[in-house]
Amino acid sequence: MNVVVGYVPTPEGESALHHALEEARGRKARLLVVNTSRGDALVDERFADEGQMNLLRDRLTASGVDHEVIHGIHGRDASEEILSVARDRRADLIVVGLRRRSPVGKLILGSTGQRVLLEADCPVLAVKS
Amino acid sequence: MNTTATRSATRPRRQNRAELGVSLLLALVGAAVVIDAARLNVPYSQSDPVGPRTVPFIVGGLLLVCAVTLTVNVLRGGRGEAEEGEDVDLSAPTEWRVVLPLLGAFLANILLIDVLGWVISGAMLFWGSAWALGSRHPVRDAGISVALALVTFYGFYVGLGILLPAGVLEGVL
Amino acid sequence: MDVWSSLLDGFATALTPMNMLYALVGVLLGTAVGVLPGLGPAMTVALLLPVTFALEPASAFIMFAGIYYGGMYGGSTTSILLNTPGESSSVVTAIEGHKMAKAGRAAQALATAAIGSFIAGTIGTLLLVVCAPVVVKFAVSLGNPSYLAIMVLSLLAVTAVLGNSRLRGFCALGLGLAVGLVGSDPVTGQQRLTFGMPLLVDGIDIVVVAVAIFAVGEALWVAAHLRRTAAHVIPVGQPWMGKEDWKRSWKPWLRGTAYGFPFGALPAGGAEIPTFLSYVTEKRLSKHPEEFGHGAIEGVAGPEAANNASAAGTLVPMLSLGLPTNATAAVMLAAFTQYGIQPGPLLFDREPKLVWALIASLFIGNVLLLVINLPLAPAWAKLLQIPRPYLYAGIVFFATLGAYSVNLQAFDLAILLVLGLLGFLMRRFGLPVLPLVLGVILGPRLEQQLRTSLQLSQGSISGLFSEPLAIVVYVIVALVLAWPLARRLRHGTSRSTIDTQQDAGPDVDAGDRGKVSSS
Repeated sequence: MNVVVGYVPTPEGESALHHALEEARGRKARLLVVNTSRGDALVDERFADEGQMNLLRDRLTASGVDHEVIHGIHGRDASEEILSVARDRRADLIVVGLRRRSPVGKLILGSTGQRVLLEADCPVLAVKS
Repeated sequence: MNTTATRSATRPRRQNRAELGVSLLLALVGAAVVIDAARLNVPYSQSDPVGPRTVPFIVGGLLLVCAVTLTVNVLRGGRGEAEEGEDVDLSAPTEWRVVLPLLGAFLANILLIDVLGWVISGAMLFWGSAWALGSRHPVRDAGISVALALVTFYGFYVGLGILLPAGVLEGVL
Repeated sequence: MDVWSSLLDGFATALTPMNMLYALVGVLLGTAVGVLPGLGPAMTVALLLPVTFALEPASAFIMFAGIYYGGMYGGSTTSILLNTPGESSSVVTAIEGHKMAKAGRAAQALATAAIGSFIAGTIGTLLLVVCAPVVVKFAVSLGNPSYLAIMVLSLLAVTAVLGNSRLRGFCALGLGLAVGLVGSDPVTGQQRLTFGMPLLVDGIDIVVVAVAIFAVGEALWVAAHLRRTAAHVIPVGQPWMGKEDWKRSWKPWLRGTAYGFPFGALPAGGAEIPTFLSYVTEKRLSKHPEEFGHGAIEGVAGPEAANNASAAGTLVPMLSLGLPTNATAAVMLAAFTQYGIQPGPLLFDREPKLVWALIASLFIGNVLLLVINLPLAPAWAKLLQIPRPYLYAGIVFFATLGAYSVNLQAFDLAILLVLGLLGFLMRRFGLPVLPLVLGVILGPRLEQQLRTSLQLSQGSISGLFSEPLAIVVYVIVALVLAWPLARRLRHGTSRSTIDTQQDAGPDVDAGDRGKVSSS
């Protein structure tokens, strides 16, 4: 059993992780935590740095859930990355965080959560911050 | 240090051969300058003893000398250092898959600008360039492209009094 | 007229609401491009050249002045917050600045950089006001042969001294001079290097050359090696400094200014040497030498001041002699020619209003920078989130637009592409671009001076040496050219002199990136 969660170091990312941990614990599943960036811009605050990754790892270890962290720049969107991990590992559940966006924001930016919801082959749990 | 060192160890040959192309370019330009200058008339004139040929001969000569010296330098192991930059990753090889589509977008704009007009060809240029550079949001990119092209078209017309070609949209804009 | 009353007139021009607006736009744009990766002030001014044709020359130059100083400031922001120095001149700032930021003192680092830049910029501009008219007075008394000699010196100095390889500098210079030859010969009217193309008869527009080399060439080069990274900006609140920081900063600011200005005014002086000298000096004089390498505030204050003072110094030869010594000054000089203004010693006489407005706007720009940048620093950091594809597609887009709008000819775009490819090749094979651009700008003027000089001597070469100053300058030229030979001769006997000289550059350059200088 595998649960995939898209993690970002923001409130919605934290609450996604929180729910993913509970789901994984309940299902006795392995938790795959994905944090990536396309590396498009010089600065990407959604890509966790070493300090944040260490905190994350500590938290995962403390939770006692079987886990794995996928972290790095592979030139793909976060949504593509999450979907491809879910496909390759035959995930039973994907957990994503959603943040509130204005209508204009939705139009211009699109969203990682939206793409995952539309394109995933397995159930998706969308969590609001 | 390490990146430069490994690079020079693994690809000295290719770099060398390619750099000889620079010598060739210099030699060609130098020769063109000299040959072009040689066909100029030099009317005798009190007011211009130097004449139109002197400076081209000097420049052509400089280029030919540079071509020869650079060839010698490269054959003896000299190497031009590629320029670094904030967004330049020299450890990766040249990405022709990015450069060629980018050049394609540029070339398409040159050919189309007078036919289609700036708004269409300029929007295509931005969209194509962004795609070549790795953006994968075609719809969002298209929106930005059209907006940029329209804003610059009207901005130049209203703000600067420069009428960019409207092309096929003549009368619409 | 008295210098100070001219300056007051300049302020009167620069302080009109419209011109203030242009100064503000320039400062904002300059800071933005300084912060953004891949864009420099030279590229920005080049991209804006076509847009400014519709403006009054004074307004355009007021804007350029803002971009010039703003660019210097913006570069230091990214050096400190991200450790990615955009310009070679802010490499030294990054050493201590980034360490300070990592240690939670980003606010102080940004503040000392901003205030130091302001002080150095203001003192530097005051020195410019004092020096430039003196240089002009001296330059006006020069005959053509001396002026020719000085032009040759500045061209050779930039070619031979800057950059890693003199040979490659001369290659670039030769190409630039060749591009400058294209068009009809000004005296006999014969076509040179036009290959029968009527569109080339007027020569290649300097705007197109500058945009091609600085913008298109750079975009292609970056595209070929696009870096994929995602960094974090070190969070920063409002920049501020404590009492102790002020006490440790003010002397380095003044010393940095003293280093920067003269180097900027020298041909080929540049900003790298004074920033480095300032760093070394502060390290030696500091009461806290152990802090160096771990975020010493003196190591930010001194080099930043040196950097800005050098930017002001560069304007002395540019305004008083018409000789640019860095890329941005070269493009600004090209702008003068675009407006039909002849740069050179007569500039102050013929265009006093323009020149003094430009100088006054430097003071204003400095104040604006301080007022705007201190509170806005966190906002500037947000700009770094623009995806690279948009950034470089935007550069290509605006480069095309600019080059096209000059004559509304698709032919210019073809030239833009060819020269852009040349710019790409030059970056690939380590040919410096500055000698090329200077060659294009100064080549035609050199030829004109040469022809006038020899006209007086009826073609005899001795005409070149008819003035004592010319002879002195040619001796310096000979020394500049012979210097590496002499060094090579001594290389056999004693290595030490070369080693100390070589250590200076790479040591600092290395930073995190690892750069090896070729000798």
